[in-house]
Amino acid sequence: MPKILHVDPSLTRQKTVLAIKSIPIHAYDTPLATERAALGDGRLRRMLRDMMIIREFETMLAGFKGQGAYAGIKHIYAGPAHLSIGQEAVAVGSAAALDAGDHVFGSHRSHGEFIAKGLSAIQKLGGDALSQIMEGQAGGQLLRTLEGRLGTNDIRQRAEQFLLFGLLTEILMRSNGFNGGMGGSMHAFCPALGIYPNNAIVGGSAAIATGAALYKKLHGQGIAVANIGDGSTACGPVMEAMNLAGMGQLTNLWDEAYQGGLPVLFLFHNNFYAMGGQTNGETASWDRLSRLGAGFNADNMHAETVDGTNPLAVMDSVRRKRDLLIARRGPALIDAECYRYVGHSTTDASAYRTKEEIEAWRSVDAIAGFALSLKAEGILDDEAEAEMLAGVKQTIQQITALSVDPEASPPIDIKADPFAVGRLMFSDELATLPGGGALIAPAETCSRVTQLAKRSRVGKSPEGKKLSAMAAITIRDALFEPILHHFQHDPLLIAYGEENREWGGAFGVYRGLSEILPYHRLFNAPISEAATIASAVGYALEGGRVIVELMYTDFIGRAGDEIFNQMAKWQSMSGGVLRMPLVLRCSIGSKYGAQHSQDWTGLVTHIPGLKVVYPATPYDAKGLMASALAGNDPVVFFESQRLYDTTELFQPEGVPTDYYRIPLGTPDIKRAGKDVTILTIGPSLYKAIDAAETLATEHGIAAEIIDARSLVPFDYDLVLTSLAKTGRLLLVSEACERGSFLMTLAANIQRFGFKHLKAPVEVLGTPNWIVPGADLESSYFPQAHDILDIVCNRLIPDLARPATGDRLWDNVALARQGL
Amino acid sequence: MDIELVMPVLGVEIEEGQMRAWQKSEGDSVIQGEVIAVISTPKLDMDLESPATGVLKTIIVDEDEIAAVGAVLAIIEADEDDATD
Ligand SMILES: Cc1ncc(C[n+]2csc(CCOP(=O)(O)OP(=O)(O)O)c2C)c(N)n1
Repeated sequence: MPKILHVDPSLTRQKTVLAIKSIPIHAYDTPLATERAALGDGRLRRMLRDMMIIREFETMLAGFKGQGAYAGIKHIYAGPAHLSIGQEAVAVGSAAALDAGDHVFGSHRSHGEFIAKGLSAIQKLGGDALSQIMEGQAGGQLLRTLEGRLGTNDIRQRAEQFLLFGLLTEILMRSNGFNGGMGGSMHAFCPALGIYPNNAIVGGSAAIATGAALYKKLHGQGIAVANIGDGSTACGPVMEAMNLAGMGQLTNLWDEAYQGGLPVLFLFHNNFYAMGGQTNGETASWDRLSRLGAGFNADNMHAETVDGTNPLAVMDSVRRKRDLLIARRGPALIDAECYRYVGHSTTDASAYRTKEEIEAWRSVDAIAGFALSLKAEGILDDEAEAEMLAGVKQTIQQITALSVDPEASPPIDIKADPFAVGRLMFSDELATLPGGGALIAPAETCSRVTQLAKRSRVGKSPEGKKLSAMAAITIRDALFEPILHHFQHDPLLIAYGEENREWGGAFGVYRGLSEILPYHRLFNAPISEAATIASAVGYALEGGRVIVELMYTDFIGRAGDEIFNQMAKWQSMSGGVLRMPLVLRCSIGSKYGAQHSQDWTGLVTHIPGLKVVYPATPYDAKGLMASALAGNDPVVFFESQRLYDTTELFQPEGVPTDYYRIPLGTPDIKRAGKDVTILTIGPSLYKAIDAAETLATEHGIAAEIIDARSLVPFDYDLVLTSLAKTGRLLLVSEACERGSFLMTLAANIQRFGFKHLKAPVEVLGTPNWIVPGADLESSYFPQAHDILDIVCNRLIPDLARPATGDRLWDNVALARQGL
Repeated sequence: MDIELVMPVLGVEIEEGQMRAWQKSEGDSVIQGEVIAVISTPKLDMDLESPATGVLKTIIVDEDEIAAVGAVLAIIEADEDDATD
């Protein structure tokens, strides 16, 4: 779309061939003596020990799962245990090549990477940094527990105990786990050591790590690593992430200071199997995983296949990729071939593979093999090896005993504190704006700003005539203003989505911003709704702030996991360690039929962990957007395409020019009345106003109209107060009724305000069928006459008003038919 | 021969647009297809091309003014040979 990228038919139509560079497979052949000279014996021995720690740790978990005991310590563990026994060299080799400040994002099978990255960081960080990290964990609580019970004067040894203890208590979901027991085995992490969320959704980490890499490129340092399995190559969002990480604009269009592909390494721990499905040969079309790199760019993403049973081969490769990433030549891909001897989980009977195959891989075991080669080189002897293993076992046993002990590691006492989980859903913090957001030109020079300065702030002329969208501030403009404000005052804020830059967002909310914002703060995303939102999650949890736009709410399906499981969950699953300052703008369409016109507010309100708003006036849109951008919680911000051109018709003073906030969660009375309450969500407000006009003039009935404005959170007090006055309530929105948020509101208001009710609460959404084409929409979305029908026939039946009958249906009969 | 430059149809339900900027002044010569003005709708900005080669004779809608779809924005006096096409 940028005009400077000229698509020249004379060039693009030339006959030629695409040359694809070859991809190295198991190229590593550095003699151990050379590595020894460079690394020293201590580091090599430590790599062996680190692998032993991982294996012993997971052996302990296997014991708990399988026999309810390990080394005489009895414990029944009910949670998941996806073990990586056999794959340790990939975790240890890669972690050895990473800096303490590099961030790893893993999978359901990431205990190994967790331990390896932690141990590597412990070696690389100074004593002060380590004690700061340990003191910083839950106010030093974990450290105090250790100090009282396990002796050591060595800060690194203490930090190792801390690492293993915090991880195991997290796996056992104890209150002193790294994430307060909210993450557990598949989601444990510890950002202070560079260990970022491990993800139970296969491939989920790919795009999150990509967003973290974006943050690192813009505001941080080092690289992000997605530790994911071979099975995840078949996941769409993984493919999307690999494309996003190397988008052409990064090298072609972004400012010099930020040029180059994102510093993200897609490190595939290729154990040849998903669960029982075998990738190469069965479920994957690739023959070598590394071949995928060739599909993304001329560098093949620097892809190579390495021997994942040799920690040095992995370290060598990760180190080289890291150098490339730091040199802004990312992204990179490594296919590390390895094998898990154990089942996918402890219930896996290994029906999909032979004993011979498992034995063949055991014969090239990473730990035994590495110990042998160290011995052959004279770096280790049998005695030292036995001593090392005994030390490892002792450490794991000590940590295990401490972790299962309810005294040292108290379980979460939900009876004593029923809101222990609930409290973690939202931080409810408001950030202070640091100021100094980078612009390429002063905001005053933005054409949109000068245009808006000439517009009326109110939607009516002094004579009461409605002003057009060209003459007065609209919702589109009211959204633009706080977004611009935050861009000016929050240097960490970025925005992206499809057609966001030159086009100004599909519906023009950002129009003009490209004149003043550099590329890295406002860019066009690929048609990758999943990776767009997941990368925003990664950017936000690294400490950034981001607005992403979904062109149509109907595309939420393309990003279901990213919204429902990633954006919504990491604050709470982190036990309050992370924040998620992410605003997802979702535009609700119309006129384009069944796949472009759906109000899906009910889908997102159903998921705990998301704040949800849907303003219907410019005044509210501006104030709510400001609050969404100022808060540290994830917000899904719905906008109606039919309302973008709506001007301010309620606030007599119009939309203030200055910045202001409206707290999320507060409904608002848009028209006062005493006879019946009509609570609306979104554009239905205007139909209700029309209906109220008729009720007043033709029936002398005063309807009180309340605009919900926010759906989560929602303060019922205003509605209940209104209900106490009117005793009658109709709820109206443009979502199909079944499972909608209207139904939630109706059920709750009936529960909370039953004593006020003079008639059953009535609900008017859209029918439970597809949105028909443009010409039939008025029969589908509730109109003023539908509202009148229900008020006059059901809520106040004595009003003699002939029904139009459009929506006075027998809802019981319809439900019987699934409608 | 005089040719009218009109506010184009800008989309469903968009009834008017705003003259954002004239790229040419009265008396300037213009070429058919050349961008001579930028107009705005609430949603987007759009280039407006000259419908003919000739001279921009009269500007009717000034910058920042709003005009209905179909309204005459300017008159172009087309070159003779152009007009006979
Ligand atoms: C989206 C999704 N689909 C399916 C699953 C169930 N599942 C858990 S692990 C797994 C296999 C993943 O294979 P791979 O990516 O190779 O990782 P590995 O288990 O081999 O480490 C599957 C299918 C899931 N967790 N998430």
